[in-house]
Amino acid sequence: MWKVAVGDTIALNQPLIDIETAKATVELPSPYAGVVTKLHGEVGDVVPVGAPLIEIEVGGGDAAPLATPAEPATTPQGEGRTAVLVGYGVATNEGAPTRHRRRGGAVAPAPAPPAPITSTAPALAPRSTPPVRLYAKQHGIDIESIQGTGRDGLITRSDVERVVSGGTPRARSAPAAPTGVTRFVGHELAPWESGPKEERIPVRGVLRSMADAMVQSAFSAPHAAAWVRVDASKSVELLSALKSRPSMANVRLSPLTLVALALCDAARHFPGINSRFDDAAGEVIVRRSVALGIAADTPRGLIVPNIKDADTLDLVGMADALTTLVEKARAGTTTPNEMIGTTLTITNVGPFGIDGAMPILPPGTSAIVAVGQIAKAPWVVDDEVVVRHVVEIAMSFDHRCIDGALASSVLAHVGRFLNDPAPALLAR
Amino acid sequence: MSEIPLVQLLTPEGERVTHPEYESTLGKDEIFGMHRDMTIIRRLCNEATSLQRQGQLALWAPLQGQEAAQIGAGRALQPMDFTFPSYREHGIAWCRGIPPEKWLRLFRAVDHGGWDPQQYRHSVPTIVIGNQALNAVGYAMGVQRDGAEEATMVFFGDGATSEGDVNEAFVWAGSFDAPIVFFVQNNQWAISEPTVRQSKIPLYRRAEGFGFPGIRVDGNDVLAVHEVTKRALAHAREGGGPTLIEAFTYRMGAHTTSDDPTRYRIDADVEVWKHRDPLERVKAYLVRQHQVPASEFDATSAEADALAAKLREDVLAMDSPDPLSIFEYAYADVHPLIEEGKRDMIELGVGGGAH
Amino acid sequence: MAQMTMAKALNEGLRRALEDNPKVLLMGEDIGKLGGVFRVTDGLQKDFGEDRIIDSPLAESGIVGTSVGLAIRGYRPVCEIQFDGFVYPAFDQIVSQVAKLHSRSHGVYKMALVIRIPFGGQIGAIEHHSESPEGYFAHTAGLRVVSPTTPNDAYWMIQQAITHDDPIIFCEPKCRYWEKGEVDLDRPPRGLFDAHVAREGTDVTVIAYGPSVRTAVRAAEAASAEGRSVEVIDARSIAPLDFPPMVASVQKTGRLVVVAEAPANASVASEVVARLTEECFYSLRAPALRVTGYHTPYPPSRVEEEYLPNIDRILDAVDRVMGFES
Repeated sequence: MWKVAVGDTIALNQPLIDIETAKATVELPSPYAGVVTKLHGEVGDVVPVGAPLIEIEVGGGDAAPLATPAEPATTPQGEGRTAVLVGYGVATNEGAPTRHRRRGGAVAPAPAPPAPITSTAPALAPRSTPPVRLYAKQHGIDIESIQGTGRDGLITRSDVERVVSGGTPRARSAPAAPTGVTRFVGHELAPWESGPKEERIPVRGVLRSMADAMVQSAFSAPHAAAWVRVDASKSVELLSALKSRPSMANVRLSPLTLVALALCDAARHFPGINSRFDDAAGEVIVRRSVALGIAADTPRGLIVPNIKDADTLDLVGMADALTTLVEKARAGTTTPNEMIGTTLTITNVGPFGIDGAMPILPPGTSAIVAVGQIAKAPWVVDDEVVVRHVVEIAMSFDHRCIDGALASSVLAHVGRFLNDPAPALLAR
Repeated sequence: MSEIPLVQLLTPEGERVTHPEYESTLGKDEIFGMHRDMTIIRRLCNEATSLQRQGQLALWAPLQGQEAAQIGAGRALQPMDFTFPSYREHGIAWCRGIPPEKWLRLFRAVDHGGWDPQQYRHSVPTIVIGNQALNAVGYAMGVQRDGAEEATMVFFGDGATSEGDVNEAFVWAGSFDAPIVFFVQNNQWAISEPTVRQSKIPLYRRAEGFGFPGIRVDGNDVLAVHEVTKRALAHAREGGGPTLIEAFTYRMGAHTTSDDPTRYRIDADVEVWKHRDPLERVKAYLVRQHQVPASEFDATSAEADALAAKLREDVLAMDSPDPLSIFEYAYADVHPLIEEGKRDMIELGVGGGAH
Repeated sequence: MAQMTMAKALNEGLRRALEDNPKVLLMGEDIGKLGGVFRVTDGLQKDFGEDRIIDSPLAESGIVGTSVGLAIRGYRPVCEIQFDGFVYPAFDQIVSQVAKLHSRSHGVYKMALVIRIPFGGQIGAIEHHSESPEGYFAHTAGLRVVSPTTPNDAYWMIQQAITHDDPIIFCEPKCRYWEKGEVDLDRPPRGLFDAHVAREGTDVTVIAYGPSVRTAVRAAEAASAEGRSVEVIDARSIAPLDFPPMVASVQKTGRLVVVAEAPANASVASEVVARLTEECFYSLRAPALRVTGYHTPYPPSRVEEEYLPNIDRILDAVDRVMGFES
């Protein structure tokens, strides 16, 4: 109930109104002496804390608005507090997300430009110990560019030492196979919803190598491509039959094993495919030994280690060589020597559920074969549509030295091999 | 009032009555002085309540109704005596000569204390109920060991008598014959808990069990409180040991400005106690017995108003302390975490007027 | 130089403090005629009188609360809490008044009191007689907490604590009361709040205080037989912790193990680890480990050996920090 009216002359501490708060009905004494010029709110109104309640003209003619006190009181400044039963109330501006002070004394400085974000997933921060970090820092080496060789990819002092002394760090392994969905250029990306709108990933390490290689290749070797679809049903049957043999229990066979053998076999028949166009020397170099590169997707990115003298391997030998290559790549223990000298390459995009691809040549090679998925598909046999295991084999080649005829011959050879692998295997 | 015997020298109607053991020797001027004291602290207390309602204090603990208990006791003290208050002893602080704005520093939340306790012989406020009773007994034991003729007096409320510390203080005081006066203002309420919740027997009778005298005095009778306290203090100074004084009074207002007594007590009780007002009876007595003219009371009121205006001015001028000051007295000696905290604040640009 | 037990060294230290300053007085349960349940105050009442060696009623809050008043009056009371597990009734006075009155009075009051608490286990006692409450007090601003581990430290630290103007919780490792050692009666070994390298080493830093120091030193001896060089630091001051020598040690060894009887959760040991991780981040070759009592109420003492940090557990932690790949 208002105890004063507009026009009343009131004294300091004169009761103005009864306010019912959460805990009691209290009389509000006027903090000013003067003349009431305005009342805000009717009896029964709920007035928010801090809202004007009454205006009083004090002496000099200025109206002094009085805000509703918090419960039990506002701050001495009378603002920004949420009532509780005891004390001035809770400061509401305390948690305002504004920086007021910064170490060094600057008050509310301009926000610093955002630092490039290298990784949003803490799990992917390179693992190392503080002294090793310090050691790397002291030598101006970014710890993120180092591939750890310790347990679970730990970056050890010797890893840093190797970089310091100019050696090549080995590929870093990951504790678990990453999903292809969030991993990109060797980084684990945050989910779409929670990641930043724009994320910048520095180009270095494996990514830098891949980028340089691809650019070098794409802009020096004119790429051409050819592809073939093959009924690989017999390959599938053969693999299935071999896998069930006890003697093959420890051999990991896959369609890739057969493709590798087929490509090597094709090279023996058409050595031109196993060549290199050396522009600087003005030569085309034909090699009669296949260093078979296998594009491997690792947690740190794409690397292409190779199997030396792959053309000499039999089925079991090829299977074992592939197994070893993949395991080492995943574990990050591929040696530099295993990364150089590739002559022919296979990239296996089948596991991704893809039918075909047109790959770019690794520098220094003239052909790369992409193997798609082997999937059941309608196939015409003797004018009848039947279901077969079908695979698409594609090849990119350096058109400076390899023409369409050679490429087609090689592809056809691979196709025939896969279409009926037994005779081809027996023929070797 | 109650059936229990209590010392009363001035009735609520302002009649002087006699007591077999206690007789006031105060003359007109001294009694008028006490009326002035009570008028002033009531006025200052009202001002503080207004300041709290207006958002200038975080809290206020009003003493309305307890003016006689505090002024009667406060005026019985000798300068060298030492007092230990709770947080409602504004009347004692007044008697000890502490400027009113210093009492309000705590309630303005700019300080935990507010005055130099050695200068005024009045310790800093104790908010944790009953802690000060033990501290006071320890102080009294120090006085005892010094062989000094000083009394120590400690103030607490009826609620505190349930605290272990107060009971332990009684044990210590009894056991060591400490020169102390325990002054419990039984204002009937510990926030919402009535005294009967704290004790099945009258509080003053607790003393007997601890081996020293206890006495109930009409806490609204400034003459009786003064006389009883004076006697107890003298008893202590003379090495007679402790006394428990129960000033039987009533908390006319809320426990603090955060309290709402209408939730737990009835108006009728308050009305009864209004008739026992500690100021009115003294005024009636002075008018009737000593023909003090109205103008003198008016002058006292004007003085009280002026002090209230000064208090308001002082409180409004009371700024937040420099944040760096929090480090100043956390320890007496250098402490690495204090140095570190200070450095941190300075580096963040806090304090030293930057606030 | 004199050979004496820690209990005797404390007794001598108290005696000297009582002689040096008439304002020093002692208060506690059974400290007079009996001389305290550990005989630390033996004979003092006979020599200094009942007014200075005060046999108190049986209430810990009363002991501390009245000592506060005595301190306000200008005395320098030394309270004895009979056992660690009996300090809790005094907790309110210690935290609400002892720790805060200097600040509340703007420095007018000096809370120059010492609260002696025999603490820790290893004595085969029944419940409430083997606890390590130092963390509660170390956590409280306004207090200081120290713990001697040798008779020489005990003799000097009690005197240093009594002459200090801040309130000091003086934790006495009761399992060491009867161990003898050399006491230099002429010169204090170091400041009250100074940590001390109890044994030098280069591979691992082990930081301990109170009863755990000797255990840590023995573990270091055992480690040495296995070819590992363990440095042991006796923190001596629990609050404030004397970090500079700890930092120097960890920067040297790169490995840290902290040993205490009190459970690790939110403890002094945890504070040591947190701070040294902050200060020595680039020196740590392995995560810092804590070897402490388990997070249970103090167990029946027939199994306290398994509960407490013992040589095996310390050596295990040393193995773990040494074996950490870096």
